[in-house]
Amino acid sequence: MNAAGTLRRARAGLPGLLVPIALAAGLATLVIVAAGGHPPASRAQQVQQIAAGLHCPICKDLSVADSPAPLAQQMRQEIAQKVRAGESADQIRAGFVAAYGDSVLMSPPRQGVAAVEYYVPVLVLAVGLITAFLLLRRWLRAPRPDPRQAGASQAGPRQAGSAQAGPPPLSAAQRRAVAKAVARLREE
Amino acid sequence: MSWTTSRRARLLAGVVAAVAVIVALLMTGLGRDPSVFASPLVGRMAPNFTLPQLDGPPVTLARLRGQIVVINFWASWCTECQDEQAALDQVWQQFQDSGVVVIGVNFQDTAGAARAYVRTDAVTYPVVEDAGSKTALAYGLRGVPETFVVNRSGRIVKHVIGPVDAAGLAAEINSTLGTGAR
Repeated sequence: MNAAGTLRRARAGLPGLLVPIALAAGLATLVIVAAGGHPPASRAQQVQQIAAGLHCPICKDLSVADSPAPLAQQMRQEIAQKVRAGESADQIRAGFVAAYGDSVLMSPPRQGVAAVEYYVPVLVLAVGLITAFLLLRRWLRAPRPDPRQAGASQAGPRQAGSAQAGPPPLSAAQRRAVAKAVARLREE
Repeated sequence: MSWTTSRRARLLAGVVAAVAVIVALLMTGLGRDPSVFASPLVGRMAPNFTLPQLDGPPVTLARLRGQIVVINFWASWCTECQDEQAALDQVWQQFQDSGVVVIGVNFQDTAGAARAYVRTDAVTYPVVEDAGSKTALAYGLRGVPETFVVNRSGRIVKHVIGPVDAAGLAAEINSTLGTGAR
């Protein structure tokens, strides 16, 4: 009776227990993700990641991870050995850089000559764009020649001067007076 | 008017200078063989190794401190290695009594093929096996043949990519001998 009662009480309390357990599990997952960012990579994944960041020294544009060359294969074995020995990715990379130089990195640091090679084209492009912008602005702001003025200047400097002043328009009475004067002249 | 002219002249001079710099950079870059890399190890301590000889006791580089060591990476399948074989033997014969050691490091090869090569080509200096290319990777090897000259204090003073010639190698050794324990 007592045992059955205890079991019944336990069953009744089970849904109530599940909620805090689920909450605790969720919280723990959040803490792990927040602390580590990602779940810890396996050794094979670590080797793959390190190899992908190294340039195969005898290949063109192939990483150690992607190259089928025997040297790249031996580099992968060397990386795996060092990962097993507990070396960090930075230590392993530093070892290869010490032997091969920065060119062994798929993304070499932008320092010294590498920085010049990287930044000079950007600088040249920026200077070119600024120059083009300034020239375009100057061209757009420059006063455009008046077509009438251009025609007058082609005709000659004296006419250009009169064209610039421009004759005042005649009124209807003036036009009639002019017409009469012309008719009179013709009669004479 | 003259102000505009001088401004234009300055602008033109600037453009010409910029073009000249770019052309110079391009010519420098294009004139360089991209397959030849300067080893970052030159001037640094030579990575130590202990490697088994093909026929003999293991060789440890650190134990050769005080002598000039010529480390030659080679393989039996490498035709350029065959080309330089005579030069290396000549240097070994010439300098072995002057505190110079030549070591052949067999690279990506089989022991059988390496032994046959050493027998056929009458290699007289010690030859070691580098199984797994651990030593080759420590020396930043890209291919064979490659040769490193290590001075008496264990520092790399010369790196040669491709076959060595006897005169050049002898000159380097003489220069290193002449500078004492540089």
